[in-house]
Amino acid sequence: MGPDGAPGPAVPWRKVLWERQPFPDNYVDQRFLEELRRNEGIRQYRYWAVVKEAGFVGEQLSCVAIFITLWLYMEQGQLSPERLLWSSLVCALLGYGLYQVLTSQVQSGCEPRTRLADLQSATIFLSFTFGFSPVLKTLTESVSTDTVYAMSAMMLLAHLVSFPYAQPSPPGSLSLNAALFASVCLASRLPGALHTFAMLSCALLMFALWPCLLQRLRENAPSQFTGVCVGVCIAGVGGLGSQWPGGAVLLALALGSVTLLCPLLLVMLQRHKDNIQGPWDEAEIQEDLSHFLH
Amino acid sequence: MVLKIFFPQCCNRADSGLLVGRWLSGHDSAVVLAVIHYPFIPGQVKQYIQQIQASSGVELSVLGSWSLPKEGQEGMESFLRDLSTIFPQKRWLQINREVGKTGFNCQVLQRDQNGRAIPREIKKKVEKTDGEAGGDGQKKEKKKVKKKKEEKQKEEEEKKEEEKEEEEDEEEKVIFVHYEQRKVMLSQLHPVENGVSDPKTDPPSELRQMFQSVALSQPLYFLDRYDDGPLKSTHWQSEGREASIIVELLKQSTVPLCMLLRWLLSIWTWICNIRIFSLPPLRFLSSKLSTCVQLSYRTEHMRTLSSPKRTTEHTEFMRKANMVVSVLVDMALGMLLMWWLYKDNHISMLANTLVPAADHVAKELEELLQWLMGAPAGLKMNRALDQVLGRFFLYHIHLWISYIHLMSPFIEGILWYGCLSACFGLTFALSLLSDMVALLTFHIYCFYVYGARLYCLKIYGLSSLWRLFRGKKWNVLRQRVDSCSYDLDQLFIGTLLFTVLLFLLPTTALYYLVFTLLRLVVVLFQGVLHLSVDFINSFPLFAVALRITRSYRLAEGVKFRVLCEEPGTALHLMMEINPLKSSTVVQLYRTPTYSCYPKDSWAALVKKLFVGELIYPWRHKTTKTD
Repeated sequence: MGPDGAPGPAVPWRKVLWERQPFPDNYVDQRFLEELRRNEGIRQYRYWAVVKEAGFVGEQLSCVAIFITLWLYMEQGQLSPERLLWSSLVCALLGYGLYQVLTSQVQSGCEPRTRLADLQSATIFLSFTFGFSPVLKTLTESVSTDTVYAMSAMMLLAHLVSFPYAQPSPPGSLSLNAALFASVCLASRLPGALHTFAMLSCALLMFALWPCLLQRLRENAPSQFTGVCVGVCIAGVGGLGSQWPGGAVLLALALGSVTLLCPLLLVMLQRHKDNIQGPWDEAEIQEDLSHFLH
Repeated sequence: MVLKIFFPQCCNRADSGLLVGRWLSGHDSAVVLAVIHYPFIPGQVKQYIQQIQASSGVELSVLGSWSLPKEGQEGMESFLRDLSTIFPQKRWLQINREVGKTGFNCQVLQRDQNGRAIPREIKKKVEKTDGEAGGDGQKKEKKKVKKKKEEKQKEEEEKKEEEKEEEEDEEEKVIFVHYEQRKVMLSQLHPVENGVSDPKTDPPSELRQMFQSVALSQPLYFLDRYDDGPLKSTHWQSEGREASIIVELLKQSTVPLCMLLRWLLSIWTWICNIRIFSLPPLRFLSSKLSTCVQLSYRTEHMRTLSSPKRTTEHTEFMRKANMVVSVLVDMALGMLLMWWLYKDNHISMLANTLVPAADHVAKELEELLQWLMGAPAGLKMNRALDQVLGRFFLYHIHLWISYIHLMSPFIEGILWYGCLSACFGLTFALSLLSDMVALLTFHIYCFYVYGARLYCLKIYGLSSLWRLFRGKKWNVLRQRVDSCSYDLDQLFIGTLLFTVLLFLLPTTALYYLVFTLLRLVVVLFQGVLHLSVDFINSFPLFAVALRITRSYRLAEGVKFRVLCEEPGTALHLMMEINPLKSSTVVQLYRTPTYSCYPKDSWAALVKKLFVGELIYPWRHKTTKTD
């Protein structure tokens, strides 16, 4: 029973092309669909595992919320830059120590960064930020506040969208840059140069260094990782609630939908997955959109 | 076959005699150049022809006989036929014209093996409508069947086709092409063929051969009608011997003039070659000053003009003549300008207005800067950078004004001496004016350069940081954008710089835009000056004047007018010279200057402006890359 419906002669059909047979080239016999396979290599998601993974997304969302909260505090003068700087320094030292501890646990083949290189990087960050903070302070003076807010919101959204959730250890260029751009925009609205400096250091800590530590944590201590995520989410909602309760409700809803509702949907919809494979070549449409970006 | 006979108009009424001319090689046609009258001694004729042939290089021969019998000179038929045995030729033309009639009779005698002449084509009555020799009379009287053809070849082909049909009836047809000997002798057929191309492989066209043989056999025309020699002939001859003597004397007098010029030039070259002038800063300066550029052009022109070699080629001659005329006109205009300037003390007036004008420009600039330092056109600029840039430029203007005031006592003197340069020509005065404009607007140039550099830096910085922002980099080796993983600190500093540059860009761009517009105004003015100088330098005045007054001198081709065409008679055509088109004259004979070289396109200019590259030295682009 082939497409051309040729009546089968006595010779049995063989699936070879190198032999001359009395069948048309596109002939197949009844055994064709026997090789059909469905949903090959499928991973059965379990709800809580998916929630655990999605927690990372929620955690990053909360990070952004925490940053915005800090900025709101700074702008209203309720948080002095010195306090923020000191607490940032303490957090950084603690995080660095934790990072070192986690790194020494698993000594993989690649050569680790030396302390000197870390110190060098830190010096570069601090000196550049400190040197540029007066410039950054006056940078957006003549630009209207609405424009700055809109730009920051766009950039933070870009950060969230392009964040490499699967492998955040070397933070993706676009996400980090977008976050830094947004923080520069926001920091330039603050009253003083020291405020700007503190805010930028804080941004560096949250958007560049914190994902690295988190990645280490996920690799080495998965149970603690979940706890940290939950903690950060609660902190984000709570922090935002102290300044802007409506925002906190929105954030909580978003977190709930991302971490609980979306995985539920995924797991529920998994039943309907019907992916067939067989002894045929699937037509693949390869649309390379990347060349539009260059 | 059609036999074409080019017949000079001046011989229409000549006395009977021998036709002297030339058979054109490769074509079935003959050019009649002159008529030698009876009585003559054949030996002398042969000797004379050899002599002329030696001096002109044209293969002259006796073509046949010409008879215009006067009263009492009847019955020369047999004598004329006998002449052909004296001057042995392959073909012997026997043209005669009867008294009172306007036609030509033509007989062609073909010589057979035994040397006996056989009349092949007998008695063709040819009517000629006009008895008078002049072409003007013919034009008025005739029936005017006008045929104008731009290209002779086409006409010939058409005619040949016509003839082929009739060939069955007649063995050979004769076409008389009348030409004006003087015009053909003086005219130069275009396109000009310089140098002698190999005649064997590539024989020149029939028309070109004909023009060449008429022009080259000038020694033939020196024989005067009134000379007391053994031979008398009719051909074109100059009616202004005295004038030509004066011209000859003038030509001779240019020799000492050229020598003087050469001596002066050698001194000038010696001065130019002193080592101090070849030092890099001076050389750079002189390549930028249009007066120096003009000076070098003129030196080159003078060097060409004073060369001791005699010019023989047409193009070379025209080039030199154009140069002479342009130099003379230039100097005359310069003198006129000088006369106007020094009359009524216009120079001091000029000097007195110049300093206030510069002051005024500076004041306007200051106001512009003040405006830019505020909120220009409601644009929100970065206030700090705006203030810094504005103060910087204001200080620059302040410096400039004090410099102008320092200079002001000397400006009149400078102008007075500068205007003396106008005696070298208007071009020098204009170049000097251009240079002075450049010097007086130096502050605008400086502003432009600062603005452009700053803007360029920003644009390049932003473009590369934008790649960093997206996590890409420019691969120099492969000339493409690659993705790249940056370090944390690189990303951080890059983003910081990107933000700073992005927010400062509008301020810089506005300053750049304003100063570029100012600069473009100055460049436009200088460009107009340069164009006019270039026009005077390169416009082929002599060739254009020649085209206007003596349009036959520069021929593009010929056209034919039918004088008389009746069935059964030979065709009489009048050959007229088609003058070269004026645009072609200008294109062909303009002196090469820098304006002839390819320039940047407008798109490239706009791109340069957008990217912030310096646009001024666009015409020195090649030297810049060296």
